[in-house]
Amino acid sequence: MASIQIVGLEKHFGDVKALSDINLEIEKGEFFTLLGPSGCGKTTLLRTIAGFYHQDKGDIYIDGELINKVPAYQRNTGMVFQNYAVFPHMSVYDNVAYGLRVRKFTKEEILRKVSAALKSVHLEGYEQRTPDKLSGGQQQRVGLARAMAIQPRVLLFDEPLSNLDAKLRIEMREEIRAVQKSLGITSIYVTHDQEEALVISDRIAVMNQGVIQQIGAPWEIYSNPQNTFVAYFVGKINMLKMKLEEGAEGGMRRATLGSMSLRVPAEGTEGRREIIAAFRPEDVLEAGNDRGVNIMVGTLQTVSFMGSVARFELLDEGQEIVIDRHRPREVDMPPLGSKVSFAVHADSTLLFDPETGHRIGKGAKR
Amino acid sequence: MSMENASLAKRSRGLNFWSLVIFGGFAIVAIFLIYPLFDIFRYSFLDKETLKFSLSNWKAFLSKIYYLRAFWHSMYIAIMTTLFSAVFGIPLAFFTTRFRIRGTNLLNTLAVLALLSPTFIGAYSWITMLGRNGFLRLMFQAIGINLPEIYGPLGIILADSLQYYPFISLMTAGALMTIDRSLEEASENLGARSVRTFFSVTLPMVLPSVTGGALIVFMMSLSNFGTPMIIGGNYLVLPTLAYNLFTSEISEMPGMASTVSIVLILCASVVIVLQQWLSSRRKYASMLVNRPIVKQLKGLKSVLAHALCYFIVFFSTMPLAVIVYYSFRKTSGPVFKPGFSLESYRQIFFDIPKTVANSFLYSIVAVILIASIGTLLGFVIARRRNAAGRLLDPLLMIPYIVPGTVLGIGFIVAFNRPPLILAGTAWIIILTYFIRRLPYSVRSAASILKQIDPALEEAGINLGSPPGRTFRTVTLPLMQGGIISGAIMSWVTSMNELSASILLYVGGTMTLPIKIYLSVVDGYFGTASAMSTILFVVTGIAMFIVNKYFNRGSETFVGA
Repeated sequence: MASIQIVGLEKHFGDVKALSDINLEIEKGEFFTLLGPSGCGKTTLLRTIAGFYHQDKGDIYIDGELINKVPAYQRNTGMVFQNYAVFPHMSVYDNVAYGLRVRKFTKEEILRKVSAALKSVHLEGYEQRTPDKLSGGQQQRVGLARAMAIQPRVLLFDEPLSNLDAKLRIEMREEIRAVQKSLGITSIYVTHDQEEALVISDRIAVMNQGVIQQIGAPWEIYSNPQNTFVAYFVGKINMLKMKLEEGAEGGMRRATLGSMSLRVPAEGTEGRREIIAAFRPEDVLEAGNDRGVNIMVGTLQTVSFMGSVARFELLDEGQEIVIDRHRPREVDMPPLGSKVSFAVHADSTLLFDPETGHRIGKGAKR
Repeated sequence: MSMENASLAKRSRGLNFWSLVIFGGFAIVAIFLIYPLFDIFRYSFLDKETLKFSLSNWKAFLSKIYYLRAFWHSMYIAIMTTLFSAVFGIPLAFFTTRFRIRGTNLLNTLAVLALLSPTFIGAYSWITMLGRNGFLRLMFQAIGINLPEIYGPLGIILADSLQYYPFISLMTAGALMTIDRSLEEASENLGARSVRTFFSVTLPMVLPSVTGGALIVFMMSLSNFGTPMIIGGNYLVLPTLAYNLFTSEISEMPGMASTVSIVLILCASVVIVLQQWLSSRRKYASMLVNRPIVKQLKGLKSVLAHALCYFIVFFSTMPLAVIVYYSFRKTSGPVFKPGFSLESYRQIFFDIPKTVANSFLYSIVAVILIASIGTLLGFVIARRRNAAGRLLDPLLMIPYIVPGTVLGIGFIVAFNRPPLILAGTAWIIILTYFIRRLPYSVRSAASILKQIDPALEEAGINLGSPPGRTFRTVTLPLMQGGIISGAIMSWVTSMNELSASILLYVGGTMTLPIKIYLSVVDGYFGTASAMSTILFVVTGIAMFIVNKYFNRGSETFVGA
């Protein structure tokens, strides 16, 4: 049975629909991420699960128990806050012990549980410190230890790393992941950082405007986006709105945009005159002579050298196209303004419906 | 945020309690503000003889030079006081924040002590120094210098500005200390000399604080009753005019006193509107990445800077020192004799122990009311923004614009007759303390709460602690320091209150400030000095506690 079940959840703030028809099943021990831009409803959903907001419609189950009417303080969820919310008037020890004291554990049990929690976040020896003597990263470890110590049914993370600097963020996300796996606590993690989501999650729900766009494993979300929003929000992608020519040849159709021309799989394009064709920069090959490969040409605008790749920004037919050159140290950089040709393999081209933004053709679900 | 959504069950119970608080807030405003103020308003439009609606009082105010002159006097005093306060306050702020001045803490403490002591004591001390037989006057006369007459506008401006300049110096210093150094460095990096940097970057950045402090000084000076009463002589300002009119009209209708009161409220409202407008404009609070550098001056420059700072502060504390000195002088009735004794103190504790006890009792009862009710109302205003709360917020600020004298007149007019007769009781004095101080308490509770991240309360709830327990274990401990230091400040101001209570006291409800005032008028300087010294000591102890145990800087005392 799923650890958390959400059925038909809706929430309004005044006239604004913050959540509409949210349905989710999260497995026991799963690390589940809600990913989306700010205002997409991900934090609202998390706070509704915690009991800080109350839904207008729908049901929330934890371990099969309907918790709609359970007040926040009885839901036994451990929340890790964006701005840490470490009690400034208590020592590290008292912070972590807070939830245990509410639960009336004995002194010995509290000592044992606090020590274990602090150990797992590498804060042994900090028991008597006050929060103002801790760095941001350490404060967030206290927040994590405090949430874990009560052995909650689910850990809720509300953008816990967004206030930390880049290096610490990477360090902490690995630590959170390791602690979560070793304890096996079901976790829901909210972030707007797609890279963070890809690295840390077992599964991701991408949200936009209060609606879940797609649920899937990180690789699935990245390589098989089901609509233009997901494709655009996760990773970098080129999208071209193209006209489809009549007739298929060898299961392929020709799509054009001005002088640009691309052969795309015919599957799912029956009866369509227009299409959005999308491909990721890293899927672009250097122009060769292989058949079945589309050769395109663009004028080089900028080059960003990023170490493992060099990212070229090209312009063709008023469209900006971004492509990656792999192992850039080994190739000569063309001068700005020169014509660069490149190849897009038909298999790595994703097709979307220009009206609805839904994925069509091979790889489309539903 | 957190608690109202915590649960459905708790929500309805919580709503009832907080609704009760809001209702109580409206009741307090209606009974103790609207009702007495409306009475004053009504009387200003009643004819003395016929008791019918008439504009005769207003016509009199606008046509008779006697009344109009008091208005211009008030404006003149307030403007000059503000000006001189700026002259003392701005350099002091700049020197103590930008240059290393030894004993800056001592200077700030002394300035605040002078600020918080009862207003009229400073005035009375200047009389002992520069009055007709003042010792400084006699000293200067001995060397052939005749000092100008101290009674009248000069004395009021002198006493007022030396008391109120810390409003400007502390607020300006606070702003100067929070300017990011990089801004001044950027200006110099772009080629501006340091003088130009001061006038084009530093000064504009602190200007909102300077004007904020200046408006407070203007307001305090405008509504000050004690100083002009003691040192003003025949020079009447609006509060003293209202007082004189009221005490002479008392048997008849207080029509003219009410009219003058309304004029005072109108003046104060204009100042408050100005202040709100100024503070709503851009403020340059920075994240304070780089604190400004405190420069070490060398040689003559350092000596001059020290001399200036110490001169300003000691000049303003001198009146207090003189009072303390006189309290230990030997006296025989109103006459000082050579030598020292504790006679004045003996007289206080043996002759008027009830007055001392009254002062402590009333102010402590008032503070308990102020702190508890103010905190609850502050919580309602900060955390439960609904229509009722939004309406209550500005209503609770009304006492800001009601000078003590006006509130006193309103109370005596309204509570001298059914349905609520309070005149002559201790409660009427306690309630004036309460009402006068309530807005400060509400504001401070609300601003403390705004600094407490709601996520902390949510964390408590999330960890399994019910809303009540969370309020007790998280919110209240975090507010505690602010509540207690605010309460101590309220206690000090209540202990020193004169302008309203002087209209409301009867023989049995006499307090220290009233007794001091009466002793000064009767010429008993010895006991007046001893009583004043008691008030200084109380004020000093309160400040010490706030500084030491609640770790709040001097700005607390002006921000209140």
